Amino acid sequence: MYAMNDYDDQDYVYDYDGHTGDPQLDAEYLYNSHHSKRAIPDEVEKFIKHFCAAIQNGNVFEIQNMYENLFPSLSEKYYEKNDWPSDKDIKFINDKNFLILYKELYFRHIHARSKNPSLQMRSNSFLNYCDLFNLILLSETPVQLELPDIWLWELVDEFVYQFQNFAYYRARLTDKSESDKQDLNTNAAKHWNILCILNVLHSLIDTSNIKIQLEVAESGGDPESVAGEFGRHSFYKMLGYFSLIGLLRLHSILGDYYQAIKVLEPIEIHKKSQFTHIPACQISTSYYVGFAYMMMRRYSDAIRTFSSILLYIQRTKQLYSSRSYQNDQINKQTDQMYHLLAICLVLHPQCIDESLQQVLREKNYHENMYKMQCRDMDVFRNFFIFGAPKFVSPCPPPLNGEIADFHKEPIDHQTEVFLDEVRQQIELPTIRSYLKLYTTLPLEKLAAFMKPGMSEDDERFVSNLLINLLCFKHKMKNIVWTKGPSGLAGKFQSGSELDFYIDNEMIHIADTKVSHRYGDFFVRKILKFEELNRRLHQFKI
Amino acid sequence: MDDGKELIIADILKSIERYNPDHLNILEAYVASQAKNNTYDLEANLAVLKLYQFNPNKLNYNITHLILLKALTNFPHTDFTLCKCLLLPAQMDDDTVKTIIYLADILESCDFALFWMKVGMTDFVANITGFYDSIRKFICHVVGITFQTIEKDYLVRLLGDIDGYALASWIKKYGWKDEGDLVFIASQDNNIKTKNITEKIEFESLAQLMAGCL
Repeated sequence: MYAMNDYDDQDYVYDYDGHTGDPQLDAEYLYNSHHSKRAIPDEVEKFIKHFCAAIQNGNVFEIQNMYENLFPSLSEKYYEKNDWPSDKDIKFINDKNFLILYKELYFRHIHARSKNPSLQMRSNSFLNYCDLFNLILLSETPVQLELPDIWLWELVDEFVYQFQNFAYYRARLTDKSESDKQDLNTNAAKHWNILCILNVLHSLIDTSNIKIQLEVAESGGDPESVAGEFGRHSFYKMLGYFSLIGLLRLHSILGDYYQAIKVLEPIEIHKKSQFTHIPACQISTSYYVGFAYMMMRRYSDAIRTFSSILLYIQRTKQLYSSRSYQNDQINKQTDQMYHLLAICLVLHPQCIDESLQQVLREKNYHENMYKMQCRDMDVFRNFFIFGAPKFVSPCPPPLNGEIADFHKEPIDHQTEVFLDEVRQQIELPTIRSYLKLYTTLPLEKLAAFMKPGMSEDDERFVSNLLINLLCFKHKMKNIVWTKGPSGLAGKFQSGSELDFYIDNEMIHIADTKVSHRYGDFFVRKILKFEELNRRLHQFKI
Repeated sequence: MDDGKELIIADILKSIERYNPDHLNILEAYVASQAKNNTYDLEANLAVLKLYQFNPNKLNYNITHLILLKALTNFPHTDFTLCKCLLLPAQMDDDTVKTIIYLADILESCDFALFWMKVGMTDFVANITGFYDSIRKFICHVVGITFQTIEKDYLVRLLGDIDGYALASWIKKYGWKDEGDLVFIASQDNNIKTKNITEKIEFESLAQLMAGCL
């Protein structure tokens, strides 16, 4: 029986006793020595049998209930500190396909429970994914499996997550035993290989013809007509769609923002469609897209993407209030997006929805935003690191090199690239704050504001100011998406609220004046009143 | 490079083949041809950097330099940042890469006079056909969105102390007007003006709410 922090010790136990180097055998050893002693509660055995039957019968509603409600509640009741019974322990099941699906949940539970699963567990989980994808992709006719969409989404997302987690784990060399290190270079060297991950996702996309299906649907045609034998099945179609989002995440954590947005080209992310009914998928998509836009200095697009999903979350937030692993992730991503939105608004001030402003105010983002405007690089750094995804390197660290921890390298690199960008435009908020006060302002006068104490005719300050003004115009004129399915396309626009031009020695300033908005305020009060009214009527006196 | 090869490259980039290191040779040759023939293909170049990221043992520094320099020629687009995000620690440690990043930093900050001074001290940009004019195009873009009228001497400095003949041709290219000491860029009143955002509420957006109150 093992608890969370027993893992490291256990690795050593296996090294001395029974460790064969073969992950499959090792895993068997592990199961035999620990699990068989543990009796399976009747309730769990019954559940597993029903689960298997439901999947065999393709009863999606029942499967969904078992997947979304029963499995988590049983996990909480019996397996908060242990793993679920391994496939060897549930001899009463002999459906091979069900066992693969069951093991997917089994390993996912291990990954969720222990933040740092053992190498064997990681490898076995990978091999099980291989079995699963081989089953789905190598079959000559579509496999007869019906799974709820939420499962399919979490399957793909978890697959990318476990790769990310493995890549992070692999890059940390100082906390590994010798045998783990050796395994990483030999038996497990091919496990969680980046090409394998890409191959799976691309194959799922190709098999389902999802790209062409989306294109045809977009132009008003019938996607069924191009779906092909596999893509006609909801199972393949949804896996294909979720794989596009999986690629978005995968490219993002490798720092390839161009490909990240490019793979979504058949999807119009701001449009509702038959694929947008899984909130976690919607939220995750917007998070990575918004982040990629921010890194491409497309602040307008980033702000639009974050705002629209944050408003959606606000409207539906009662759905995520209960504590579950799905909601934990949604709430974390929401927080991250508020941080990123705050950064974007400092760099590119722009009008956003009042209710989001209110959150930024209430949760004390304003103080940090003010610090960022005053060039506090530490706040930029902290906000970025909190808001950014966990970057990883696609390759293991050098084989015979120094024993060090390389897992921070990718995040450090992306942070530096971002901070370089911030440093280039660090003067702009100050300039903006002065320009805001005027409609016309001579260059010399502004230069004097910027460097108090200079003499009026000091040319050096004026020429420095001109550099900053050119930089202002350059940085605030960015590609903004206007229409069409490609998120990469767009037109150069100045989307920020303050703009100006220079006529020889005079700056002419154009500001955006926003008159008070009452609509939102009244709508909110009306809704509140209605709610109150409804509750009052429920009272029985 | 003839069209046939470009077609092959487009096919490679479209599929999973883009991650196949066997294609590095053909893609690297394509980068070199972009440098020579003053053409540009960001997607192919990013694919090369990604192949280096996946296969650090195949890293080619000369090609890395060409890709980064080509990205400089496509300002004001943020291609350079996209390339930079894909660089490996080994590439970041390379002296030439550091210099190119420094040049990019100056360009991003719009300190053009400094840029011309620093770029004059390097020799690698000679490998990129049309490099200087691409940079001037970017500078003209920034001038074009910033100024209504600009001092001619200042404009000449921004463009790297070009001679009168070259200046005249840039002025002509962008449809600016030479007015003696000043150059008239464009009338900006129409592009850059104060915006007033007032609240507009559509009836449709409230219909449901109002219906609910009945």
